[in-house]
Amino acid sequence: MIYNDRFFGDSMDLDALIKIVEKVGKVEIDNIEITADELVINIPSAPPMVIPQTPALKETLVEAGLNKELKIEIPEVDWETPINEYKGHIREIQFGKPKSEGGRGKVVKIGGQRALYRFEEPQPNAPVVTFDIFDMPMPGLPKNVRQYFEDVMQDPTEWAKKCVKEYGADMITIHHISTNPKIKDTSARDAAKLMEDLLQAVDVPFVIGGSGDPKKDPIVLEACAEVAEGERCLLASANLDLDYKKVADAAMKYDHNVLSWTIMDPNMAKDLNRRLISHGLDADKIVMDPTTCALGYGIEFSINAMTRLRIAGLKGDELVNMPMSSGTTNAIGAREAWMVNPKWGDRTYRLPLWEISTGLTMLLSGVDIFMMLHPVSISVLKELGKTLITKPGEVKINTDNYEWIRA
Amino acid sequence: MAKVSAMDIYKLLPKTNCKKCGESSCMAFATKLQNKKAMVEQCPIMNTPKFEKNKKKLIEMLSPPVKEVWFGYSDKKCVMGGDEVMYRYELSFFNQTPLGIDISDNLPEEEIKNRAKYVEDFVFERTGEKLKLDFVAIRNASNDPEKFKKAVEVVQGTTKLPIALCSLNPDNIEKALDVVKSKPMIYTATKDNFAELLKMLIAKKEAGKEFALVLSSDDIKTLKGMTKECVKYGIEDLVLDPHTTPENIAETLDKFVMIRRSAIEKEDKLLGYPILGLPINTYMYVLNGNNPINQFIEEPDKVAGIMEARTANAMLNRYADAIILHGTEIWELMPILTLRQAIFTDPRKPQAVEPGLYPIGNPDENSPVIMTTNFSLTFYTVTGDFEKDNVTCWLLSMDTEGKAVDVAVAGGQYCGENAKKLIEETKIGEKVNHRIIILPGLAAPVRGDIEEKTGWTCVVGTRDSSQVGEFLKKNWEKILNDWKSKNA
Repeated sequence: MIYNDRFFGDSMDLDALIKIVEKVGKVEIDNIEITADELVINIPSAPPMVIPQTPALKETLVEAGLNKELKIEIPEVDWETPINEYKGHIREIQFGKPKSEGGRGKVVKIGGQRALYRFEEPQPNAPVVTFDIFDMPMPGLPKNVRQYFEDVMQDPTEWAKKCVKEYGADMITIHHISTNPKIKDTSARDAAKLMEDLLQAVDVPFVIGGSGDPKKDPIVLEACAEVAEGERCLLASANLDLDYKKVADAAMKYDHNVLSWTIMDPNMAKDLNRRLISHGLDADKIVMDPTTCALGYGIEFSINAMTRLRIAGLKGDELVNMPMSSGTTNAIGAREAWMVNPKWGDRTYRLPLWEISTGLTMLLSGVDIFMMLHPVSISVLKELGKTLITKPGEVKINTDNYEWIRA
Repeated sequence: MAKVSAMDIYKLLPKTNCKKCGESSCMAFATKLQNKKAMVEQCPIMNTPKFEKNKKKLIEMLSPPVKEVWFGYSDKKCVMGGDEVMYRYELSFFNQTPLGIDISDNLPEEEIKNRAKYVEDFVFERTGEKLKLDFVAIRNASNDPEKFKKAVEVVQGTTKLPIALCSLNPDNIEKALDVVKSKPMIYTATKDNFAELLKMLIAKKEAGKEFALVLSSDDIKTLKGMTKECVKYGIEDLVLDPHTTPENIAETLDKFVMIRRSAIEKEDKLLGYPILGLPINTYMYVLNGNNPINQFIEEPDKVAGIMEARTANAMLNRYADAIILHGTEIWELMPILTLRQAIFTDPRKPQAVEPGLYPIGNPDENSPVIMTTNFSLTFYTVTGDFEKDNVTCWLLSMDTEGKAVDVAVAGGQYCGENAKKLIEETKIGEKVNHRIIILPGLAAPVRGDIEEKTGWTCVVGTRDSSQVGEFLKKNWEKILNDWKSKNA
């Protein structure tokens, strides 16, 4: 029998061909071009057949027979970006007041998220880092932190200026450490005086911190709040160990925000927020600090607390949908960060990396504002934070994912 | 919370309460199964033919939405995936992320050997645990099959490390597969080499070769298509690489989340596979001249190490089930290993030791009394340091609800009231002839409170327990004598 290519149409139907082969035992093909690919893919374990004048094809057929009808391809599939619905949102908090409203200038906003992840909706405000400074020299700081501030530690206003001018600080946290009765017992009046000087020295918003003394802190915070009236600072902090009502009163009277600080327990955070709100504080003036445990010292508890609070907030719990703060500097207290130990390598890199690792873990657990110390850590954390406000696809990717194989 | 309830599991069990599994009842066994603390096979009745159907059903029911995939040697495995939940507080994360270090096949044999040995011997010890690296990624930088094969032989001749074979060239992978003795992870199938590589691997699999295969694409739909095709041919030990893009790491982190959420929340089985992260791409990116912190640090390799660790740690926070790194300096690996340890800590296990009195060394009536917390990380760090420095003391572990010193001081658990209770319960007063407690440096703020409530003299010790040995050597005798002369 003789078949020509017209019989099969434009593309040859090999199944038909095989049927014919089975019937007649032999096929002779004239005037036809066959490329190997077409045959490899379509012919199952064909019965022996003779195709004259195409010896190369034979080998291909044998191989195809072994691989049994392998037509490997990437099939089209359905998949949709898994975006969730959120009933709630995170409140937006403002620090500082613009000049047009009689403030010192710089305004910083945090929070405002409407989704958990960037691919659902990028967050409107980048995470913010606030530089820790102290109202007295801190000889206890590790040398490779001190090296950046040694020249300004004697003067907190110079310290603040250096953070802003040289390291691009968005905000400054002044810790009025010396007000602690066990340290220098500096008076609230002197603390307020320093606060006034600081406000004049730089134009960024402030976090105002006490010394950790539950009796003295509310007094110091109140005095500082008064001189910073209207500047929308963050008073750090209100907690259950001190007269939080006094702190809330100072915030209400002088137009500031309050840091609501609890110990790693989401329910405690909710409880304190409830108390502050029922005392009269506007919920839009609260930032939560559920406590940051340093990497290696219980950070997993902080991950859980932050994540649960953020998810509850997005689900619509109005008592915990506040932005969150992290005392990331705690990481520098970890021995793996500060200790000189040749077995652990150079502290120059180890210390900031410990702070970075702690901070980014908190960042990815939902934290919005970071209190940090080391300029290197701050740069790296801010760089990562900025990626969270980029839209998917906005930054063009030019790197090759496989370059490392060849490098 | 696991999706399957203990009751659903119980329904499929024999309900005989025969106790042969070691549990008191079938319901107790069901709860163990639900929490991944037991295996179906432990029930002898389930292993009988009569229960074959139920057993199959149960295993299916209990299999995690993210498939567990391993590579390496049967007695030295890197296990990836196996996760059930999006957030660790819902249950726990399983199978801590294996960390791999790359080795180029272009390196001289001696260097390949040394690098592999370094990876195998690397250990960072903390809180009584030895934290280690897990595998080597042998990369076919030469694109020469012979060099690739040679590198594999050198690594497996020197170490017993699990191996990832990294090449885009199916021929070279085939050659390396012929010499590799363990079950390797193959990096990688791409859109371009997919058909060729898969055909080769199907043949190898039929010939009895075992491997885990990485599928790589920056498009999740393509990844899903690839897994579909692989599964069709019985290749099911898969790992997904949605590309690590150092220009904007948020893109990569997002894709990790999308894949994991698809698997767990949307029950998409074709995306229920472990995820591979490549912080090494960040390392190379910095070496290629992208230093975001050149204001502070100029050495490219140091910055590359910092940025690589930053990427690795971000990925650990976003479901990475395996990671390939280039940097091997201890300061870079310490935070990665520590974060991994933290994230994979089982939140269901208490993070606290029994509060009470622990004699360290052979303490007597003149030995110091030191008071720490019952947070297990703190406690093991302290006892580890004391052992190393031959400290002899009475160590009191206060019930701080498993919180570290600074947190417990702030939270009010490390306080005078609890100290008083501890002193009374342990009767430490009968064991020593003094009334002095040494407090951790971080507990300085509550010294007054403790002195007031207990009547004991408090001495604020060092900031870190590693300094206690030195501190006691220098000061203890004087502290004790001063106290004795004052209280004589």
